[in-house]
Amino acid sequence: MRIQGEYTFDGPREAVWVLVRDPEVLASCLPGTQSVKKVGENKYSGEIQVRIGPITGVFAGDLFVTNEVPPASCTLTVEGKGKVGFLKGTGNIDMIDLGGNKTLMKFTGEVQIGGKVASVGQRLFDTVSRGMIKQGLDKLNEILQARIAEK
Amino acid sequence: MKTTAQNLFDLSVTVNGTRYEQAVEPRTLLSDFLRHELGLTGTHVGCEHGVCGACTVLLNGESVRSCLMFAVQAHGREITTVEGLGTIEKLHPIQEAFHEAHGLQCGFCTPGILTTVVPFLEQNPHPSEEEIREAISGNVCRCTGYQHIVDAIKLASDRMNK
Amino acid sequence: MEKKLIGKRIVRNEDPRLLTGQAQFVDDVEIPGMLHAAFLRSDHAHARLSSLDVSAARRYPGVVAVFTAEDMGEDWSPGPPLVSPPPTVKDVVFHSRRQVPLVKDKVRHAGEAIALVIAESRYIAEDAVEEIELELEPLPAVLDLEKALEAESCLVHEDLESNLAARLFQKKGNYEAARKEAGLVVRRRIVIERGAAAAMENRGIVAHWDAKSQHLTMWDTTQAPIPIRNGTAARLGLSEHQVRVIAPFIGGGFGPKIMMFYPEEMLIPWVAMKLNRPIKWIEDRRENFYATTQERGQVHDVEIALSRDGQILGLKDDFLHDTGAYDPYGLTIPLNTQSHVMGGYDIKNFSSDFKVVFTNKTIVTPVRGAGRPQGIFIIERILDIAAAELGMDRVEIRKRNLIPPQAFPYQHEIIDQAFAPLILDSGNYKVVVDKALEMIGYEAFVKTEQPRLRKEGKYVGIGIAPFIETTGVGPYEGARVTIEASGKVNVATGIGTQGQGHFTSFAQIVAEQLGVKVSDVRIVTGDTAEFHWGTGTFASRGAVVAGNAVHAACTLVRKKVLKLASKVLEAPEGELELDNGLVRVADIPQKSIRLGELAMLANPLRGAVEPGTEPGLESTAYFGPQYGATAFGGHAMILELDPETMMVTIKRYVVAEDCGTVLNPLILEGQIHGGVSMGIGNSYYEKLHFDENGQLLNASFADYLLASSTEMPRVEVAHLETPSSLNELGSKGAGEAGAIPVPALFAQALENALHDRKLEILEMPLSPNRLFELIHAKETQ
Repeated sequence: MRIQGEYTFDGPREAVWVLVRDPEVLASCLPGTQSVKKVGENKYSGEIQVRIGPITGVFAGDLFVTNEVPPASCTLTVEGKGKVGFLKGTGNIDMIDLGGNKTLMKFTGEVQIGGKVASVGQRLFDTVSRGMIKQGLDKLNEILQARIAEK
Repeated sequence: MKTTAQNLFDLSVTVNGTRYEQAVEPRTLLSDFLRHELGLTGTHVGCEHGVCGACTVLLNGESVRSCLMFAVQAHGREITTVEGLGTIEKLHPIQEAFHEAHGLQCGFCTPGILTTVVPFLEQNPHPSEEEIREAISGNVCRCTGYQHIVDAIKLASDRMNK
Repeated sequence: MEKKLIGKRIVRNEDPRLLTGQAQFVDDVEIPGMLHAAFLRSDHAHARLSSLDVSAARRYPGVVAVFTAEDMGEDWSPGPPLVSPPPTVKDVVFHSRRQVPLVKDKVRHAGEAIALVIAESRYIAEDAVEEIELELEPLPAVLDLEKALEAESCLVHEDLESNLAARLFQKKGNYEAARKEAGLVVRRRIVIERGAAAAMENRGIVAHWDAKSQHLTMWDTTQAPIPIRNGTAARLGLSEHQVRVIAPFIGGGFGPKIMMFYPEEMLIPWVAMKLNRPIKWIEDRRENFYATTQERGQVHDVEIALSRDGQILGLKDDFLHDTGAYDPYGLTIPLNTQSHVMGGYDIKNFSSDFKVVFTNKTIVTPVRGAGRPQGIFIIERILDIAAAELGMDRVEIRKRNLIPPQAFPYQHEIIDQAFAPLILDSGNYKVVVDKALEMIGYEAFVKTEQPRLRKEGKYVGIGIAPFIETTGVGPYEGARVTIEASGKVNVATGIGTQGQGHFTSFAQIVAEQLGVKVSDVRIVTGDTAEFHWGTGTFASRGAVVAGNAVHAACTLVRKKVLKLASKVLEAPEGELELDNGLVRVADIPQKSIRLGELAMLANPLRGAVEPGTEPGLESTAYFGPQYGATAFGGHAMILELDPETMMVTIKRYVVAEDCGTVLNPLILEGQIHGGVSMGIGNSYYEKLHFDENGQLLNASFADYLLASSTEMPRVEVAHLETPSSLNELGSKGAGEAGAIPVPALFAQALENALHDRKLEILEMPLSPNRLFELIHAKETQ
């Protein structure tokens, strides 16, 4: 399944990059995230609770960051599993400096889901994932504003 | 409702005119309670997600899906299952019409259809074929293609309102 | 003998119990001390088992036991082969790979069982399944039938050289020579995908081992209780007489409930003995979508050779058949396809080569129609395309090629699922097609109604699809008929019943012969304690094979009745008649005896009987047909398509069918209505969507759509009767008939509705979305 989208942050590219690369910030943004910790260079472990239609479950898994070109782009790989199924995905993030204190984030990725979450929740997965990403990025933008204001 | 020592709820419910007082786990589905606690196995479970309609029962006279409800939600209320509609010796007029019009084959979905039709015919005693089809469109039957079910409901409505 | 009861619309004996919630289904069985089972199933379609740790599940409060393949030790073995390949065909390739009770090393389809938890309740068992730690190493999923046969494909069974499960070539005449003579050759690729049988009742098993009496009772949602009993006894090292299998009321079968042995059928009785506790397992709907067999996936390359005036000179159909992860059911489905792809047409030259392919999907076994709908879809589609190319009328091309009445019995020559060259026993096909055309008002619709509606901008289409159905195959069934002291009649037969009304149609056969009321005949099906010879309910054979066994047993009992009554009433047998529960002398009605009294006289408590006398008024008889009877029918429909939403409304649907002697038209019509509704599902609503990893994406009734009362049209049915000479009753089967021609008909009517788009429908099932895509693709071509 393909995930694709873009989001415009109200801040400079470097500041957005710092936030994106901070696991604690990410954990606080993505709805349902219960924990994220750094377990190695560019490797993180965490748990996230997801609700897709009739299915609710916790996925535990790892996130790898590769091909990192700060502050422009990186590749994220996620592998998680839980009682309701599994999830695997790879995605690319590109940050484009739009000037005028605006940064455009473009993301594309392929996600594979399996188990109960696929067989009963698939129809809703697209909507749910889009909603979660939107919520997360809105929150990230809020934090960005707060940080800029602090300075 | 109060919680007992083992986290059970003291449920009080009237089913087919009989009052039952029973401690149940809060997560017990109404369908499981009726079938396996009370032994009223006429209510069937076909999909466990509220689509097929086989588990339909009457809750205070209205059709509900017993697989989508917890037993505790029926606390203090009245339930009628297929066993409460008629007996082998004295069938309910709707049951009788299903018999005469061959409105059932394997009979698995039938209890849910009967408990859907009972309040439907009370509210709409002279339904058209289209209205009948609409009324049972939430009950899946894999055997009959619905035609004889529709005929049976028409026959029942004609008889009951003569 | 004038028929008083056979052929009458008699209401069913079994209804009152079903209508009042008093009929026992498997999940209604409750036994004190019973434990409940739940399975851990694979989330992956193809994966190696790297680690499995059930210790936490074992410790879970309320859990009694957890079993893995390893825990089964020596008792772990694959299921038995159900049907072997046809021994009479030369060069047949067949690699038998059967389902396993629990996965040992490699998962071969999503939903395959890996571990079994037994607990005090189903709720606890499911909780504990979640405590199992499982690591799977995913492998590429084998899904596409053509890619599966490529050399670089991953293997479903690594001990084989390829994913080829079987291959069989059959021919008749000389297709290549016929092709050379042809004025037109049409070739197409046609794809049919999978659907689910989706009986309303999921599968279930209750097994009860009584250690003190050393006896196992098993309630099972099976269409074939006797083979399950025999196989279970063999697996468990018991005598067949120590095992009783009961198939009580079954909430629909439609084929998959005859798959023997499901992993659960191997496991549950084994665990019941192991733990010495009754065990219940009831499948849930999601499991049903993964673990209950499915059907219909095939890819055909079909070619037809015709003369310019529409005579079929030859047909060639090579196809791939998806058998899923294992092939326990042998070649039944592709053989059915191969023997139906010529339909009811007189085709002299035929060539067909099929390959059966292993994939990482749920196992394939027959689903109502069992390969026949695919065969009929292929021939009817290619005929429609040929007619269009020849500028010929659709009806005309069919009539020109139907087997003429004088050609019966017709040597079809192709070996079918009964492993013998098919012979079409009887029929009058053109009359049936004409009847369907007359019922739908074909001429008037095409000439006046359709042009008028088209002028109004409506997309209305009409179609007609004839079909054959091989039915009533052997080997045999039996029945025991007993007149009891009460005067009531008890009949036991070995087949199972899943709603077909056997309790009534068999009772009619009995009542006809023995002069009793239909309601005074008690029929027992599906209980091996009552009758233990037979095979099961499949291939539209119940009414034909078991029905004729009942008839044969009644004939014997009737003889006994007449012989004894003749003695008692002091009248010759020829002057006696059986009526109203009495035997009486025809001319002297007051000289009579009740059947019950006669039964008592036949089973005296004192005195002597003549040597060689059998006690009671009871007989057992068997019926095995020389070969299967073949039914014929024609369906026609008028539909309207909404070009905005692609939703289809079926305006009229008619069925003219000839299944020989009709036992009970009411029940028969019900069977046809149900078959048509499944066929409509197979055409426009029901498709199992797998993603590229073999994940089923619509495993619920919210996403896998069954036709509801608002999609179903009224179906008008006409019966024409050409009795089969292959059995006393003259009957042919009808259980699957309703479903068989529907996709072919639906496609034809849709194309006709979209006549201005020149769309060719070369796939099934469709859906509103898919039709939109096809039309869009055509427009942008």
